[in-house]
Amino acid sequence: MGKGSLTAFLVFFLMLQVNAQIGAMKLVGNNTKDYSMGFGAFIKTGVPVSDAADITLELSANIFPLKGYGLDYGTIMCPLVAGYRYTLNGTGQGLYIEPQIGYNLVGITSLPNDGNDIDLKYHGVVLAGGTGYLFTIGSAPFDLNLRYETVIAHGGSNNMISLGISRFISFGKRDTDY
Amino acid sequence: MTMKFCLTIAAITLVLSSCYKQSIADAMLGITGSKQTTTATLSYEINGNPVSISVKDADHQLAGSPTLYCEKSGGYILSGISSFGEIVFTFYTDSLKVGNYKYTSYYGPMYVTSFEGKPQYVYNPGDNMNFIVTSYTDGHITGNFSGQLTPAITPGYPDNIYGTPGSVLIKNGSFKNVPVFY
Repeated sequence: MGKGSLTAFLVFFLMLQVNAQIGAMKLVGNNTKDYSMGFGAFIKTGVPVSDAADITLELSANIFPLKGYGLDYGTIMCPLVAGYRYTLNGTGQGLYIEPQIGYNLVGITSLPNDGNDIDLKYHGVVLAGGTGYLFTIGSAPFDLNLRYETVIAHGGSNNMISLGISRFISFGKRDTDY
Repeated sequence: MTMKFCLTIAAITLVLSSCYKQSIADAMLGITGSKQTTTATLSYEINGNPVSISVKDADHQLAGSPTLYCEKSGGYILSGISSFGEIVFTFYTDSLKVGNYKYTSYYGPMYVTSFEGKPQYVYNPGDNMNFIVTSYTDGHITGNFSGQLTPAITPGYPDNIYGTPGSVLIKNGSFKNVPVFY
């Protein structure tokens, strides 16, 4: 994937260095069986806006290798999304649902072709809907989440289902926080 | 109210993504519909005995033991396994392209296949394997081949003991849609 993969791996590495967490994901839809399970790193932060809800911001780097080619070919996407996370019990903890919308900062799909690689670059709108569970271990807040995400560009879409866990970085406190 | 809002956004996500039937890459390349699975084939006659290999969904062969494939490793190594045994040919090039790839004994002995329980080599003057790649598209090669080989009647180290020079002929060889792995 050349320079694109180098950039993405740098982003991936940097995100791990700043305590981002990793997730597993699978592309779904037409012609996605050529791709292996994907993996990614993401940073997620947010600001409480009520006892039940946060406005969240998430940056992720997702890599989907093409089967049979190691990491030489595949798809890389780095979406930045904002979300509204609403906890069902109204406490800011426990089960939540979260719609997200954003922009794909980097999108590269590299494919082999007759000895001349094809590198497709794109951006696009990102929409996601997910659910998850917020909990704390000691004083550290964690976010276990499952979501469906779509990146729309050039009249097509890359759709994925992802499962991840992150140590949530919160700015601000609720009235109920001690 | 908030629940309705969240569920509405989730529903919009699902509906929009389902409206776009193509992946972004397919849309940019103008590929429509679902890709068909690729069947790779290789066939030839060795001293008149037909040998045939066919692999359905060749792009997704069993990891670690694929049946018919070409892999970039040094050069490009074409390998097929049939009930007759294996056939192997190395394209000595850094970048495989459409063209003629001929290996002769001038370059030294090269194992190609086994026949009647004996390994067959390009060894004697006049021995050769001639592969012609007629198409290399979408990560798959197609072409034809022929050759003349010499059996090693007593394999040994450092040198084999060879049988009748050029006594094994490979004719009517062809391969189609063989996936190239990197």
